[in-house]
Amino acid sequence: MMSKLTAPVVTGLTLTAALMTAVSSHAEIAIDAQLDYEISAYFNDRATSFLNSSIVDQRINNSVSLELELFTAWDNDDQTITFKPFFRQDEMDDERTHGDIRELMWNKLSDDYELKLGVGKVFWGVTESAHLVDIINQTDSVESIDGEQKLGQPMVQVLLEREWGNLDLFVLPYFRERTFAGSQARLSAGLDYAAADYESSSAEQNIDFAMRFNSYIDDFEYALSAFHGTSREAVVGFDYKAVDGVLVADQFRSYYPIISQIGVEVQYLNEGWAWKFEGIVRDGVPVSYYVNSTELLTWILQSEVIEELTGEKMPVPETMEISKGENYFATAAGFEYTQVGIWETRIDLGWVVEHIYDSRQEKASPGAFEHDVLLATRWAANDDADSTLLAGVVYDYEYEDYSVSIEGNTRLFDGLSLAVEARVFAPANDSPQIAFRDEDFVKLTLSYYL
Amino acid sequence: MKKILTSALLVAMAVSSWAQTPEEKGLEIAIEGDKRSEGYGDSKVKLKMVLIDKKGRQSSRDMRVKGLEGKGGEGDKSLMIFDTPKDQKGVAMLTFTHKVKSDDQWLFLPALKRVKKISSRNKSGPFVGSEFAFEDISSQEVEKYTYKYLRDETVNGMDCFVVENIPTDKYSGYTKQVVWIDKAEYRAVKIEYYDRKKSLLKTLVSQDYKQYLGKYWRPSLMVMTNHQTGKSTRLVYEDYAFNVGLKEKAFTKNSLKRAR
Repeated sequence: MMSKLTAPVVTGLTLTAALMTAVSSHAEIAIDAQLDYEISAYFNDRATSFLNSSIVDQRINNSVSLELELFTAWDNDDQTITFKPFFRQDEMDDERTHGDIRELMWNKLSDDYELKLGVGKVFWGVTESAHLVDIINQTDSVESIDGEQKLGQPMVQVLLEREWGNLDLFVLPYFRERTFAGSQARLSAGLDYAAADYESSSAEQNIDFAMRFNSYIDDFEYALSAFHGTSREAVVGFDYKAVDGVLVADQFRSYYPIISQIGVEVQYLNEGWAWKFEGIVRDGVPVSYYVNSTELLTWILQSEVIEELTGEKMPVPETMEISKGENYFATAAGFEYTQVGIWETRIDLGWVVEHIYDSRQEKASPGAFEHDVLLATRWAANDDADSTLLAGVVYDYEYEDYSVSIEGNTRLFDGLSLAVEARVFAPANDSPQIAFRDEDFVKLTLSYYL
Repeated sequence: MKKILTSALLVAMAVSSWAQTPEEKGLEIAIEGDKRSEGYGDSKVKLKMVLIDKKGRQSSRDMRVKGLEGKGGEGDKSLMIFDTPKDQKGVAMLTFTHKVKSDDQWLFLPALKRVKKISSRNKSGPFVGSEFAFEDISSQEVEKYTYKYLRDETVNGMDCFVVENIPTDKYSGYTKQVVWIDKAEYRAVKIEYYDRKKSLLKTLVSQDYKQYLGKYWRPSLMVMTNHQTGKSTRLVYEDYAFNVGLKEKAFTKNSLKRAR
């Protein structure tokens, strides 16, 4: 656990020390920090659970995190370095206790271009329910299940800002594996992840490329993007073990294929309406990462007999196979309608309706929305504490299951904010979301800004 | 060319002032006020916003505003960067003011690294919890109102024109504004805002005007009082600087991401 934390920290501090020394003639370094304390309470209302009892007994979880930001600028502010290390200590989940360099970026601005070199974060997209187009950064999914927390991505980025629009070019020389909760913790389905498998022979050192063009005409904004490299989203399968002659899932296997993706983003603002569309076409994604059941079956039938005869354990066969890559498309489309100052108050009320579709349908990866509708309301109090509330339901009309979420935010005083998040999962029995059935939770986060 | 036309128009209006309608005189005052603030190029200022509720409780926000004067037929551009409250640090807002069509406005959310376009429909909404609406803080272009000169009046010993401004944008939260403009320097020293029901909503008083570069007058303090809620907001301006050499590239959608 310590080594997991120390490695990125030591690397980061060494690099920063070197960089800061290099610019020591302009040694003015601005430092900010955010310290979070988070407490989560889990509920399940069923007598039996999919989860093992040690997980179910974890009713309350405490966690703290610290994010620092060091910043320096020189060359008339045309060159900057930003360093953002992040650490979390989690009471229950060793996988969630982790450190990351969210950002360590040298930024150079010139008349014709902007260059970024280092580790950073890039967001693409317009919709709220799903971030289909967004592909530069890996999701730090132990941080939050909404997919909006990201791991720092090593990159070289060149940005060209012209009359006709903005063109971003990326070279991404290193891949970050997605983080997942540990098997003894909440939101893990009780299984660990085996080491990742890659399509690329250079594994996480595969060099990925991406580009995005974006522009606008009045209230119409659009972007086109392309990516070629290792998918940020893994195709997930299971390793099995035999227990009393029965196959049971032992651990998750994740396979990161090489994909090509084209993305489109469109947003049109018209009076109180914001119309949004995101779509991707992806090529090279295997439909499944499956088990060769014949070999496994043979192993189950024979291993005990062989062990009895020879006294030696027969190794579990390598059984994962990958189906042929194919292409699919996914879209998220809808609108947000905002009423300014409802009921003659200062409150703004927004209505969000989005539809998400994945052409793979039931073969889509477990995290994907195959055929879902998001209905949400967004409240902005416009008070001096900047209080906001977002409440929504995601309904899958094929599986007829849904999940409800509420996220609220307010400031207690300058320097201390409070966030509330609650989620209720109501998956159908045949739904891929069934693993979340007993994971309903309420989470309070206090954020202290130094 | 445009300047020549404007001057010709002013001369024509001055010559014919004996036959001037209140609308013509109102417009003439607005054009003269606008002309006097022309040529500042670019500007930088620090701003402290103090929100005061009915019971006198205060909370404050610090921000910096960079401005770039529009060239030709374009409106001004502005970039506002928030320093406090601390949880809002790094939030930035870019506005392209347009003379006739709706302004373009983008908000940068640093935690998500997301740039969001804001609907111009929101212009009547409160600006960051204050008594100022988005439309109150945006650049005041002549074309955004129709004008009517009402009378002369003295405010704090200053001889003023009193002009009625009617917003041309149907999304404005106001039916009219009554503006007191001092005759000596064409500064708006007081504005009354009337809501959609035509009742008095707010009063803005601008004071401690200082002159910069020997030409441009800017208030050091603006106080907006909401008569219907009893709340008020003070804007305290510090360290104004003009012609500091800001470039177009500091006012682009992309520049929001590196604004600090």
